[in-house]
Amino acid sequence: MIKNLAKKTVVALMTGIVLSSCNGLFSNIYDEPAESTVSDYGFVQKPTDSTPGRVYIDATDYRRWTYIDFHTMTFDTLDVDDPEPKNWDIAIHRYDAKTNGGAVLETGASGFAGLENMPGLAQGEFVADEWTTETIVTDMSTMMDGYLSYQESYYNRELSKWLNVDKSTMPPIYTPSNKVYIVRLADGTHVALRLVSFMNGMAVKGYMTIEYKYPFNI
Amino acid sequence: MVAKSFILPALALSSISAMAQSTMTDAKLDSIEKAWSRELNTVVVTGTRTPKLLKDSPILTRVISASDIRMADATNISDLLQTELPGIEFTYSMNQQVNLNMQGFGGNSVLFLVDGERLAGETLDNVDYNRLNLENVGKIEIVKGGASSLYGSNAVGGVVNIISRDETEPWRLNINGRYGAHNEQRYGATGSFNVGKFGSSTTLQYYSIDSYDMKNSGDYSRFYGGHNWNLKERLTFRATDNLKLIGRLGYYYRQRNSQVATRDRYRDFSAGLRGLYTISDKNNLELSYGFDQYDKSDFMVDTRSDVRKYSNVQNTVRGIYNHTFFDKHILTVGGDIMRDYLQSYQFTDNGHRSQVTADGFAQFDMNFTSRFNVIAGARYDYFSEASMGHASARLSTMYKLWRLNLRGSYSGGFRAPTLKEMYMDFDMAGIFMIYGNPDLKPETSHNFQLSAEYMHRNLNFNVGGFCNLVDNRITTGWSQALQGQVYTNISRVNIAGLDANVSWRHALGFGVRASYMYTHEHVRKGEPYTSSTRPHTATVRLDYGREWRNYGFKLSLSGRVLSSVTVDEYTSVSNYEDIERVTYPAYTMWRLNLTQNVWKGINVTLAVDNLFNYVPKYYYSNSPTTNGTTVSAGVSVDIERFFSR
Repeated sequence: MIKNLAKKTVVALMTGIVLSSCNGLFSNIYDEPAESTVSDYGFVQKPTDSTPGRVYIDATDYRRWTYIDFHTMTFDTLDVDDPEPKNWDIAIHRYDAKTNGGAVLETGASGFAGLENMPGLAQGEFVADEWTTETIVTDMSTMMDGYLSYQESYYNRELSKWLNVDKSTMPPIYTPSNKVYIVRLADGTHVALRLVSFMNGMAVKGYMTIEYKYPFNI
Repeated sequence: MVAKSFILPALALSSISAMAQSTMTDAKLDSIEKAWSRELNTVVVTGTRTPKLLKDSPILTRVISASDIRMADATNISDLLQTELPGIEFTYSMNQQVNLNMQGFGGNSVLFLVDGERLAGETLDNVDYNRLNLENVGKIEIVKGGASSLYGSNAVGGVVNIISRDETEPWRLNINGRYGAHNEQRYGATGSFNVGKFGSSTTLQYYSIDSYDMKNSGDYSRFYGGHNWNLKERLTFRATDNLKLIGRLGYYYRQRNSQVATRDRYRDFSAGLRGLYTISDKNNLELSYGFDQYDKSDFMVDTRSDVRKYSNVQNTVRGIYNHTFFDKHILTVGGDIMRDYLQSYQFTDNGHRSQVTADGFAQFDMNFTSRFNVIAGARYDYFSEASMGHASARLSTMYKLWRLNLRGSYSGGFRAPTLKEMYMDFDMAGIFMIYGNPDLKPETSHNFQLSAEYMHRNLNFNVGGFCNLVDNRITTGWSQALQGQVYTNISRVNIAGLDANVSWRHALGFGVRASYMYTHEHVRKGEPYTSSTRPHTATVRLDYGREWRNYGFKLSLSGRVLSSVTVDEYTSVSNYEDIERVTYPAYTMWRLNLTQNVWKGINVTLAVDNLFNYVPKYYYSNSPTTNGTTVSAGVSVDIERFFSR
């Protein structure tokens, strides 16, 4: 009797062990991180008349600027110490943005629809880049020693509002504005931009997805 | 029994003498005697893994009863432990993750159990305390000091065992709700029945609270709100008079709203089957299998994708056999085999690791006379991944002299390096790397305790001292070679302290309980004092309750007092030369609670939290998360009482 019961209990326990996966269950309730496998960066989606284009860049490296040229739909990623490329419109370093002699207007809109040729846009206050000495962080590794290393660089405060990073707590609190920004480029043409996401599919920060419309008539 | 449930547990808080009041009615005397008898006959299991009367256990065990839990009106274990015990502080570590300090021991050195089972998953060295809600909890047992001779790894500084309510009634249905500041909402339901050989108990709880900004600046400026779901099912089958099978299933879900673009999600799936077989009067056997999976995922709001980044899966098989000699000495032998699987974003390429641990233990509970008891135990644990073994021992004794219970104890504790500590390869936001270390040694502790307990009539007083010699504590330190943080063992830390508790109850319904603890971490002369353990802490509760035929109330004022602590903190992670001295301020926190039994099974609770409106001038990570005085209201209905006469 005891023997039988013990045997049955052991069999039941062993069955339980076999049935439950040792490496876990319910993986199907989660999503596969599709975007984490994306190795294509740059102009991943071309704009059509009805849909905006899409740029996806890896801006995780503190020592790199990604230069984007909307005229030719090309991009270039260079070290902060490298000279700027010949032609570019905006550049992105982490969440920081600068323009190539342009100026930026933050609109109240969160989408492109109806924004084009909207009265008053052209009269808006476009903000030019400013020279900064302690904004573009190139080395975080000294942070815990009480200082950071910076690149002296132009920086567009208006466009960089696309993501507010509150560093008063660790980790920082990230708040995207979700707004459309209009960049007046050096040649007088305009591009409209919206930061769609600052993470990849694995929620790793520093991967920027930007929707854009170029040329954009105001 | 159900009809008296309002007053009896309340009285069971502390010693009561039925002889105290000659003016009392026979009925009242009767109920107080029962309560006193219940107090004396409280059975504990955590210290020995077999049921033992609290008053006869040489292993000092603190019990938080169901009535204490009700009076504290706490949602989870962290709220409750802070209210009930001195020497316990829950603070924040990075990213507002909750961090325990219990008498100088961190969250990974205190073993949390639910019905004797350990929990999978951790964040910054602490289990998910939100998972440990108090819906349908029967009692909580706390054993301080090392307990690795019974429980193995992690029982370095203590064991907290949360024990579910034992459902004995034919049926029971409780529903409850509570509303408080910051839109804090808590709803719970428990339904149970016993029919023939079957029994079932189902518990569901939902909790939510809004995020809110703190009043002043600090290490954190905003409290992150969120919501939890917790579902537990327990099935009992009494197959024969000698065999009882208990099955359990659990699901837990928590979402924390720390960012606009993402949500932190935590899930747990648990299951288990336990067989209790009484072979004879002298022999019994317990076999069990347990499964626990704790996952963390990031939910991205814009794409609505929920991507898992962490999964800890533990499968455990256990056997325990008890044999009683001469009707008074109990031999316990047992063993566990556990497979521990961990997939983590903190491993290279989000990889995974696993290991098997196996152990065997024996304990002999020797009751030489009714006054003299000795417990000796030993255990050996083996860890496959580190190819490492560790032996732990315990020797505890109690001698009853006059109205005194004198206890003395040595216990060993250890904590094996975890898979995380061995294999971490994590980039800390570009600031530094954190590397694991496969060559870590286990953290060990030798714990010595002495205590004296005086019990007479309605007074209970106990005083004790403890000393913990902790060696090879595992922490991170800067490696010049790797140019990053690496897990390492550090040299010996000695923690010593004293505690004193007094509880007294007047038969007319007044009660007082006060506990004080002094903790000191010893450092060598000239070395910095880096411990953030507050040296003086105390908890106090005053209560008064009365009960009439159709109405009863209980008014309680409870408070916790925490002294300031001055800590030497390194100002850099990469060198240990520059030190800054920081003083964290003292504070007290008080709560007034009124519970009224308005009719049959309807209880209404009104509470004022942070009664004296304490607002931190600066929110340190160990400041209380409060913006000042708040109020809450709750209702609990025992539906079966409407059907009882």
